Amino acid sequence: MRRWLGLYAVAFFAFLHLPLLTLSVFSFNSSRFTVWEHFSLDWYRAIFHDPELIEGTWNSVIVAIAATLISTVVGTLCAYGLWKRGSRLLTGTLYLSLVTPEIVTGIALLALFQWMFRWLHWHLGLYTVILAHVAFSIAYVVIVISARLRTISPNLEEAAMDLGASEWGAFFYVILPALGPGIIAAALLALTVSFDDYVITSMVAGVDSQTLPMVIYAMARRGASPIINAISALITVFFGLLIVISERVRET
Amino acid sequence: MNRRYFILGMTALAGCSRASRPRLNVYNWSAYVAPDTISNFEAEFGVKVRYATYESNEEMLAKVVTGNSGWDIVFPTYTRIKPMLDYGLIQPLQHEWLPGLSNLDPRFRAPTWDRDLRWSVPWMWFATGIVYNRDVRPAPTRWADLWDSRLKGRLTMLDDPEDMLGACLKKIGLSFSSTDPAELQRAKQEAIAQKPLVRAYLNAEVRDQLVSGDVLAAQLWATTAQQAIDAGPTLAFAYPEEGFPLYCDCAVILRESQRSRLAHQFLDYLLRPKVAAAAADYSRVATPNGAAKGFLPEATRDSSTLYPPPSILERGEWPQTLPPDAQRLRDRIWTEIKAS
Amino acid sequence: MKLRSWFVLPTWIWMVGLFAAPFAIVFAYSFLTRGVYGGVEHPWTWENYQRLFDTLYLTILLRSFAMALVATLLCLFLAFPAALFISRSPKHKNLYLQLVMLPFWTSFLVRTYAWLFLLRDTGLVNTVLQKIGIIHSPLQLLYNDGAVLLGLVYGYLPFMVLPIYATLERLDPSLPEAAADLGARPWATLLRVIVPLSRPGIIAGAILVFIPCLGAYLTPDLLGGGRTVLVGNLVQTQFTTARDWPFGSAVSMLLMLLVTVLVWGILRRESEQLT
Repeated sequence: MRRWLGLYAVAFFAFLHLPLLTLSVFSFNSSRFTVWEHFSLDWYRAIFHDPELIEGTWNSVIVAIAATLISTVVGTLCAYGLWKRGSRLLTGTLYLSLVTPEIVTGIALLALFQWMFRWLHWHLGLYTVILAHVAFSIAYVVIVISARLRTISPNLEEAAMDLGASEWGAFFYVILPALGPGIIAAALLALTVSFDDYVITSMVAGVDSQTLPMVIYAMARRGASPIINAISALITVFFGLLIVISERVRET
Repeated sequence: MNRRYFILGMTALAGCSRASRPRLNVYNWSAYVAPDTISNFEAEFGVKVRYATYESNEEMLAKVVTGNSGWDIVFPTYTRIKPMLDYGLIQPLQHEWLPGLSNLDPRFRAPTWDRDLRWSVPWMWFATGIVYNRDVRPAPTRWADLWDSRLKGRLTMLDDPEDMLGACLKKIGLSFSSTDPAELQRAKQEAIAQKPLVRAYLNAEVRDQLVSGDVLAAQLWATTAQQAIDAGPTLAFAYPEEGFPLYCDCAVILRESQRSRLAHQFLDYLLRPKVAAAAADYSRVATPNGAAKGFLPEATRDSSTLYPPPSILERGEWPQTLPPDAQRLRDRIWTEIKAS
Repeated sequence: MKLRSWFVLPTWIWMVGLFAAPFAIVFAYSFLTRGVYGGVEHPWTWENYQRLFDTLYLTILLRSFAMALVATLLCLFLAFPAALFISRSPKHKNLYLQLVMLPFWTSFLVRTYAWLFLLRDTGLVNTVLQKIGIIHSPLQLLYNDGAVLLGLVYGYLPFMVLPIYATLERLDPSLPEAAADLGARPWATLLRVIVPLSRPGIIAGAILVFIPCLGAYLTPDLLGGGRTVLVGNLVQTQFTTARDWPFGSAVSMLLMLLVTVLVWGILRRESEQLT
């Protein structure tokens, strides 16, 4: 069985990575089309001459990191809080936030902000994007952590407290480490969802807060340009390196 | 914990405006200025321009409709000017600050949508027609030719209810901006009859497929068609015989803008013949600036796609702003077509 | 347990402020009338909901449910073995997880365009198939339901892998061992022991995939060529080109109601099973 699983895993990862690999290979193609012309770095050069793109990337990174940190912390706390004494209302609200089509969440948040800003005289900006991203990420975190919590014995906590730990101690030193991989999984999910979001972000972004998906979407609407290939290749390489480095660090 | 405060701090910094020079916020269609248009303006006037782009009027309107968007200048298609006026979104233009208005072509100095140019300055205009591969013989020159089963699977129409229904209306000899329910139902039948032949409903994305030959004929705007023809010489553009729509995107200054003088200076800058010519040439779209025509490279000036002769132009019509009821009916019909 | 109440407080604040409040606004919108040129206006009315009960819109809703269901099932079958593989790897678990996530850190749009690039008539798939000689003229792989499904499944695969992995990883290894000791063959152990035990993860994953698939509009638009209308496209059109926010709000409310009932039903069954 392990052999089948292994083979399947290879096919699975190939399927996952094939489209982007193809894009990356063709990002070195001087022609815009699938016909190979000759090797060229033109599209990469074009990226660095595009200030919109650079700014968009920077904004996306800031928003993603901020939103992930906030939503993972808030979401983990919430999942733990709901663990034994569930609140139907809160759980229901969280699920509802997932169920809402993105366009509706986007419009609703825009309406809310615009209504608030009439009194406060503020403008849309990066902070509204972060607030929005946290709002839709919390539910993902809660779901993942809750699923994991269900596999943890409910007696673990009691045992810790019987041994003298405080409530907070039991949580921090016993449950949290047990949740470890779950928290990482949830954080990764939140990070991805945030970095990738187009619909909601485009609604609540301000004048100065274009994110990478917004820039790419605008580019792509004008007809697929290999600059997009180049960008995706760069992002893939960057995160790939990050993964390799973090694995090395983990092993030491 | 420290890291979190650091990140929050960086966020706050990024959100703060970096204004030391005066700022102007311009929101325009994508690819509607030449690469150096904005930077030249910044250099000459010593200001910083925040320039962002959008792909549809609705996208722009959603941001602007509250009167608190932060943008100074936007470029609606002329049919949206009346609604924007009704919402009190536009500030009137001071003509004494816009001497460049005299550069405009006579046709655009008193357009039907803004007789005195009190609110808007025409920026670019174009029509919708048929772009096709020359291998298709006989060449499609009428909307009706797009219902030919020869083109099955190799034909695209615009993903835009106004344009697509408009083509159906013209095919059966009706007005592009018809509001009569019976006429619209007939147009709907035409669209549904055509649907099996249509590969997809695409806008500018179809350009690459035209060049590569995947698509043989497409309903497309003249500007995108010109870009396709530039990249694929086997392509050609036809202004349909039954009639076609003409569009004009105009610059307006939003009422919320506090930088009226600077905004006017920007508009006047855009009216300069050389600037308008450079933008029109780069973007492959027709300029309403008569004086600019002299600065266009010959190939662009002579392009029949962008600047058709008057005999063809008189077949065109300027779509009307649709009243809300007609809009509703058209939207429902559009959904029915797409869902069929 | 006072600590617990503090723990849920931040979430409450966020949900009330940035979800319940906007939600209330949309709910209110669904009872208003569309403004002349967009936005909303006064007379309160039931009209938007009345318009909904029409074959046209109900068919759209049905088709969307079917599409989302198929996509979810496909995701499940593809993701489960992968999650199993990762949870059983002696080392490099995080590496594999991150390899799963890696494609998804490039933009969703980029991935969709990658499929456009691959599936075009002159794209890689057609070119390769023609070179090998399997086909002689390009197949139209794009602009149909299959392409949309492919895009949806590809886009939401990690949302299925991660929750299932999170559950599997915590699975007591002695249980499958016990099954083996009792003579069960590996496949039987898989189906009769492991899958049922990973139920919470499967349910979580299914919900995380089904819901967005239901409301998807970018994928059907781009890969489907705008040829079909799913409920996500419908809502999106109402809020943009059609400028009929009240009707769009009504459609969203109906959608949310149906899915809430569905999800609630599932969760009720789950918690009943636990007690």
